[in-house]
Amino acid sequence: MTRGVPRWVIGLMLPIALLLLWQAWGSAANNVRMPLPTKVAAAAVQMVADGELPRAILQSVTRVFAGFMVAALLAIPLGLAMGHSRAIERNVDPLVESFRPIAAIAILPLAILWFGTGTSAAIFIVAYAAFFPLVVNTIAGTKRINPSLLQAAATMGIPRFTTIRTVLVPAALPSIGVGLRIAMGVAWTAIVAAELAVGAKAGGGGSGGVGQMMFVFYAYSIELNRIIVCMIAVGLVAFTLDRLLRGALRLAMPWSVR
Amino acid sequence: MSEAVRLRIEHAGKRFPAANGKETIAVEDVTLDVTQGEFLVLVGPSGCGKTTVLTMLAGLQLATSGQVLFDDRPITAPGPERGVMFQDYALFPWCTVWGNIEFGLRHGPAGAGMNTEARAQRVRHYIELVGLTGSEEKYPHQLSGGMRQRVALARLMANEPAVLLMDEPLAALDAQTRLILQDELLRIWGQDRPASERRTVVFITHAIDEAVFLADRIAVMTTHPGRIKALIDVPLPRPRDDRTRALPEFQALTQQIWNLIRDEAYRATVT
Repeated sequence: MTRGVPRWVIGLMLPIALLLLWQAWGSAANNVRMPLPTKVAAAAVQMVADGELPRAILQSVTRVFAGFMVAALLAIPLGLAMGHSRAIERNVDPLVESFRPIAAIAILPLAILWFGTGTSAAIFIVAYAAFFPLVVNTIAGTKRINPSLLQAAATMGIPRFTTIRTVLVPAALPSIGVGLRIAMGVAWTAIVAAELAVGAKAGGGGSGGVGQMMFVFYAYSIELNRIIVCMIAVGLVAFTLDRLLRGALRLAMPWSVR
Repeated sequence: MSEAVRLRIEHAGKRFPAANGKETIAVEDVTLDVTQGEFLVLVGPSGCGKTTVLTMLAGLQLATSGQVLFDDRPITAPGPERGVMFQDYALFPWCTVWGNIEFGLRHGPAGAGMNTEARAQRVRHYIELVGLTGSEEKYPHQLSGGMRQRVALARLMANEPAVLLMDEPLAALDAQTRLILQDELLRIWGQDRPASERRTVVFITHAIDEAVFLADRIAVMTTHPGRIKALIDVPLPRPRDDRTRALPEFQALTQQIWNLIRDEAYRATVT
């Protein structure tokens, strides 16, 4: 029955059906507060046109990147060291594992006290959230190296540091890539949560970002349609970032089978 | 033999602690000298410790008793003068064929003082030698088992180590390629040159005819515990080629070695 119909058309059928259902049900409910697909679309056009939404998204994305970079610079070398050296792992692992279950949002009070309600607090939260999936995956990737690859390097007389760079890092790279993708997702959820919470603390006049924008729509102007626009924007941006990251990883690992 | 001893194994043993608190004896009381330019082949049934002997020579494992020496110095670590070809090839999956063969020259002491052009020339030479021309840009996962083995062989050769330690380097090849590479191996080893200009080789194989064709001397090993059962000289004339395989002495030696390991080989197969 579906033969000849392109896959993307089939893929769109369920979302469109749900949108239609939402529209029909929402119209029937006859409540001014009820968000409707048509209203959401209109709000989206307006928010994009006046530059408000792109500015907020850009603000949040910049923070995600900054925090993400901080996390990568700390977590990847640490993960390599922990995966490679039993002694380092034995010393550092208890510390990492006892912080890992503490959600990023739970350290927000500290972040605000230390860094205020601006960008540095946001970066701190993102870096904290992204750190753990990165370190855990880097350790796993480093440990999973085929030991004969290190032996091969040793029998060729490759110096130790060169071996780390030319053998250990590329061997761990597929796992580091998985860690980067998970970390990116976690970073993005953390930034929205952090901005929402910072928005609550700073009132209307905070330092922006899409999360804070959502807080303003929720607490002050009460515009559910706009909150939904923000939610959709967050989802689309996260999806795009993941695809970009996947593409970059594929370019960085031409040997990988997938 | 007038050449100097390069590798010396004196009453060497290797024991591992086993899970049940006892010890596993991998090899026991192995004594063996390998002289400069000699082609020594280790044969024996599975589990006789051939690979253990090789890894002790490589410095990847250290003997738990006795000593293992290279040029009269104890072997305590791997070194570029003792190149190893691993049973699982140990190719770097993220390097192309070219990158794998160039690896030691590029990152290790084997390529010290060589410029890019000299390195490329060396790599190209060994790629041609093992018949990988046209596959330079492929990654290991795109190659057949036989081709991977050739990459590993070329990578070992490209570093031009004084000692070649090879663990079943031709096992994954089809019969024809295997014969061709046996000839090539002897040529690269330097069978046309005097012993002082040859590499020193320790070579593991399951194939007795391969051992007889290649070796100056064959160490036949036995299991439980792994030790050397017999050391057999192979006085076949060099250079060797296809005619060598047809010699009655070749057949006789093959039979003699088979007689030495037959019982154990059968036992290993049946149990």
